[in-house]
Amino acid sequence: MKIAVCWKWVSLDREREADRRWSGVSAADEAALQIALTIADTANALPGAVASEVLVICLGPAGADDVLRDAIAAGATTVMRVDASTELDSQVVAVALAEHLGDRDLVLCGDYSLDRGTGSVPAFLADELSSAQALGLLEVRPPSGDASGTFRVVRRLDGGRREILDVTVPAVLSVEGSAASLRRAALASSLAARNAPVETVRGPHGRLPEAEIHPYRPRARVMPAPAGGSLERVRQILDIGGGDPHAELLTLEPSAAAAMIVEQLRDWGYLDVSASAHPGTD
Amino acid sequence: MIALVPVRDGVLPAGAADAIAEAGGRVLLAGSATAEAEIEGCASEVFLAELGPVEFGRWTTTLAPIIAELPDADIVVLPHSPDGRDLAPRLAAALERPLLAGATEVGAHRVRVARRGGLELHELRPTGPFVATLQPGTRGGLTLDAPPEVHHLDIAVASDGAHDAHVVEVLAPDVRTMDLTEASRIVGGGAGLDSHDRFVQLDRFAGAIAGVMGATRVVTDRSWVHHDRQIGTTGVVIDPALYLSFGVSGAVQHTSGLGHPDHIISVNTDPHCPMMSMSDLAIVADANATLDELLRLLDTTGETQEAS
Amino acid sequence: MTTGAQPTTVDAIVVGAGPAGSAAATVLARKGYSVILLERGSFPGSKNMYGGVVYPRILDQLHPEWWNEAPIQRWITRRSTMVLTETQALTVDFRSANWGQPPYNGATAYRPDWDHWLAGKAEADGALLVCATTATGLLRDPGGHVIGVTTDRPDGDLHARVVIACDGVNSFLAKEAGLYGDVDAANYTVGVKETIALPKHVIDERFGVRDREGVDIEILGGTSGVNGGGFVYTNLDTLAVGVVLKLPKLAAQKLRPETIIANLKAHPGIAPLVEGGEIKEYSAHVIPEAGLAMMPKMTGDGLLVAGDAAAMCLAAGIWLEGVNFAMASGMYAAEAAADALAANDTSAAGLAGYERRLNDTFVLRDHRKLRRAPSLVLSDRVQHLYPHMIANTVERMFRVDNPTPKPGLRRILNEERKRAGLKLKDLASDAFDGLRSFG
Ligand SMILES: Cc1cc2nc3c(=O)[nH]c(=O)nc-3n(C[C@H](O)[C@H](O)[C@H](O)COP(=O)(O)OP(=O)(O)OC[C@H]3O[C@@H](n4cnc5c(N)ncnc54)[C@H](O)[C@@H]3O)c2cc1C
Ligand SMILES: Cc1cc2nc3c(=O)[nH]c(=O)nc-3n(C[C@H](O)[C@H](O)[C@H](O)COP(=O)(O)OP(=O)(O)OC[C@H]3O[C@@H](n4cnc5c(N)ncnc54)[C@H](O)[C@@H]3O)c2cc1C
Ligand SMILES: Nc1ncnc2c1ncn2[C@@H]1O[C@H](COP(=O)(O)O)[C@@H](O)[C@H]1O
Repeated sequence: MKIAVCWKWVSLDREREADRRWSGVSAADEAALQIALTIADTANALPGAVASEVLVICLGPAGADDVLRDAIAAGATTVMRVDASTELDSQVVAVALAEHLGDRDLVLCGDYSLDRGTGSVPAFLADELSSAQALGLLEVRPPSGDASGTFRVVRRLDGGRREILDVTVPAVLSVEGSAASLRRAALASSLAARNAPVETVRGPHGRLPEAEIHPYRPRARVMPAPAGGSLERVRQILDIGGGDPHAELLTLEPSAAAAMIVEQLRDWGYLDVSASAHPGTD
Repeated sequence: MIALVPVRDGVLPAGAADAIAEAGGRVLLAGSATAEAEIEGCASEVFLAELGPVEFGRWTTTLAPIIAELPDADIVVLPHSPDGRDLAPRLAAALERPLLAGATEVGAHRVRVARRGGLELHELRPTGPFVATLQPGTRGGLTLDAPPEVHHLDIAVASDGAHDAHVVEVLAPDVRTMDLTEASRIVGGGAGLDSHDRFVQLDRFAGAIAGVMGATRVVTDRSWVHHDRQIGTTGVVIDPALYLSFGVSGAVQHTSGLGHPDHIISVNTDPHCPMMSMSDLAIVADANATLDELLRLLDTTGETQEAS
Repeated sequence: MTTGAQPTTVDAIVVGAGPAGSAAATVLARKGYSVILLERGSFPGSKNMYGGVVYPRILDQLHPEWWNEAPIQRWITRRSTMVLTETQALTVDFRSANWGQPPYNGATAYRPDWDHWLAGKAEADGALLVCATTATGLLRDPGGHVIGVTTDRPDGDLHARVVIACDGVNSFLAKEAGLYGDVDAANYTVGVKETIALPKHVIDERFGVRDREGVDIEILGGTSGVNGGGFVYTNLDTLAVGVVLKLPKLAAQKLRPETIIANLKAHPGIAPLVEGGEIKEYSAHVIPEAGLAMMPKMTGDGLLVAGDAAAMCLAAGIWLEGVNFAMASGMYAAEAAADALAANDTSAAGLAGYERRLNDTFVLRDHRKLRRAPSLVLSDRVQHLYPHMIANTVERMFRVDNPTPKPGLRRILNEERKRAGLKLKDLASDAFDGLRSFG
């Protein structure tokens, strides 16, 4: 089986691009690699199987080479970097990636990247490769014994619904971060991968259209007026000075914060109820 | 402008009403049992395209020519629901129009899209036709008295050709999340909480106030909380009376799934983050230590954690 | 997954890429030995939020002109010592322009930056830094000689001729090697720190500094009756406010560290400095405080211990120096290790050069000199009685009580001493201890 995994390298700090401390790939991209490795392992285990191949490809700047080496350490057969800026239109990215994927049975992506986060590159890839697509997956089950090349997957729908799909290769799958966690590379292999060369090919130029950037604020919608009166009272109890006039903004040390919350809940009448059964974390 | 809303057996996706409203009430409903979709009061003009089960490749080859023909459809807006998110790029490619994905506001000359994990809004000034997806819950729907004017489009459904995945079965919401969708008191935890154990604590606190616990995507991605407890547009959409958030920044995909709580309390170290700005009571403090204190106060716990 | 691979073998393994570990790795790498520097964090410093004021003089030997590249926040050009009571504050304030220019004295720095930089230097000199990898135990030959470490990675065993444990306070490795006697909580203090954001110009105004000048304030009293000390220091656009508290007392008083910091920040002497700031981060960490009293054996066969792992941190209530002791002890451990490797004898005897170096340098000399400092500074008298006595004395000296004529200092002192319930002989003995320590 020939598999490609698309890794989006993101620098969380716009200024310090090269700084490994504040950059990397998403949990979803790591999950994608783990799933690829598992599929490859299963396929290889089949009698008379041709060794599967897992290519990890990243369109991005040189800063991304380190994470590609991590991919090698984790078990990727080959890695490739398409040299380009991360600030590109998703379709341009997909076209450039498709160009270097060769013919693949399977292309695995994360469901969305940390910076653009549109989840559209995988769909553009499917279009470009005229493959089937199954995106935003919670679970991917490798084909059973006969290696029919049909995968059974679970996709997240809205309102807590999910759907079970059958996808036949060639296909593009994108997975959520919780779908798998990347296995830890053996120490020896990560030492070996240290100076592994990363094949680099020239990528597309161009930029995203100019955009004014603002911090996110919810679009105006009707909100009930805060219970100011009661808060005033609580304020006096704790004798705290006024905060931001718009929101009830208070800087408190933890114990006061807790007292404030309990007091407020009581004021709103939420606390006369006794505890009831509730579900647990996983 | 026209909204394109994918329909499954007459069921509308999250954010359908927002998208239709953004398009001024004009909508193309595409999918299965489109006529049964409940759009009374939120649409003025409706086009119905029966396409059968969801198959994005086939849908695209069928819809692209139709949309090219439709009047006043040079701007197409889909809900950024799973189906909308996955159909939009295919359609944009087929129509050779740019895709502006994950918008919070769509206008002919100004589009705001959410970026960087929903913490930034990028304001774009499109020129010419485009396809956009709108974050569910960012706008709210219309309320019209007149019933919509309905057009049944008779269309030649592309006989496959495109290579698609096939639906085996749709699973109803997991019972484990039902309590979340119906709960009137919800406690949400975000990346500001520093370990898996914090969510065990958070869950205990939720129980103490007769509420239930949910978490943000970042947290479910870390598998600290099972993914079916993820609150937001791609998780469970909730509508509680009371929402308490601990270490949640309030990215659009999260807040859009919150419904319209009567009361919101947030604990965060960053007074300027969106979650704080939409709270009735916004407390700047360490959520971890605050949680310790809360449990102590409500004494639902014997153990006391060392701050570290 | 690769299995059964030959375990990697190097000359030396340094566990922990803090100041101690990176200094050690640098020395060994420069001498041409193969070194692996193990760090459990995702990068050096990622787990290290403490240690804002560093005194890098020792780096002159390792990285001459370090000040041109080290990631510092502000140079300490002003040091104040504050004595606080509930309502009073007495400050002894010193500033020196010399400390604001090469070769400099102390600086504030963010540990994630500092440790990252220092480890980077080690890498540049040829050490192999391996992050996100935790040493989980020691490998020994039948004779008990340490020959490597096990890690939490698949196929994670590492072999080496010598291992240097720089894994920080409560060193798991030193304990496993049995180098520690049993330690009791009395020997630990807990350090708690808040980082508070304020615009640079506000900090400059409030602390009377400009450009890269910075202030370090040590505080006696003001810890809500829990024995300990406090500190406030300036970064570029944040302040660090913290307290160092004696663990047993903390437990006894049933007070939470955050509460004590909050009280400190509310003190009339401190509040104006920190007002209006936004809390960026909160961290707590134990510090080995009893110094000499609790230091482990420094060497075993094939093993050396340096930095906090060897309780090298000098924490005498209001003194908190560890980074410099860590870097120095790391260097000396590595020099000794290098000699031993050259002589092909890494037994405890072969590594004895380490202890010799520690004894001959400031590392153990300062610790010996300040032997009594912790117990003295943290003693109930110094903590609870002296601040009132001193502050009241000064208050009365400066108070104008016309028409009553000014009383003499001796008389005030005597009255205040009695009022504070202090015996002359205690005063004398403390003074003597103080002299031996700081004189
Ligand atoms: C297509 C798409 C779909 C998505 N769907 C969802 C979804 O359905 N649900 C969802 O939740 N997310 C979703 N996301 C992710 C979303 O964009 C955000 O990344 C996510 O909601 C952020 O979660 P967070 O607030 O926990 O983490 P962060 O954004 O990292 O925020 C952490 C917050 O904690 C605060 N903090 C830090 N330390 C402390 C402390 N000690 N005490 C108190 N506060 C502290 C910080 O100030 C910050 O505000 C989606 C993203 C995309 C692109
Ligand atoms: C609140 C507080 C304030 C302080 N303020 C100051 C100050 O102002 N000035 C000052 O000089 N000192 C200060 N100190 C002391 C200083 O932080 C320490 O003395 C110094 O960090 C010791 O350095 P080190 O390299 O020995 O240990 P550390 O800095 O603790 O480094 C140990 C490293 O080893 C890693 N590690 C641990 N175990 C393992 C393992 N098993 N495998 C792999 N890696 C491992 C850790 O992740 C860490 O990176 C302060 C301490 C505290 C708690
Ligand atoms: N520049 C890129 N290089 C490689 N893969 C990418 C790139 N951008 C996006 N992807 C893949 O597409 C997924 C979704 O990204 P996005 O469409 O930007 O939300 C990511 O998780 C990656 O798997």
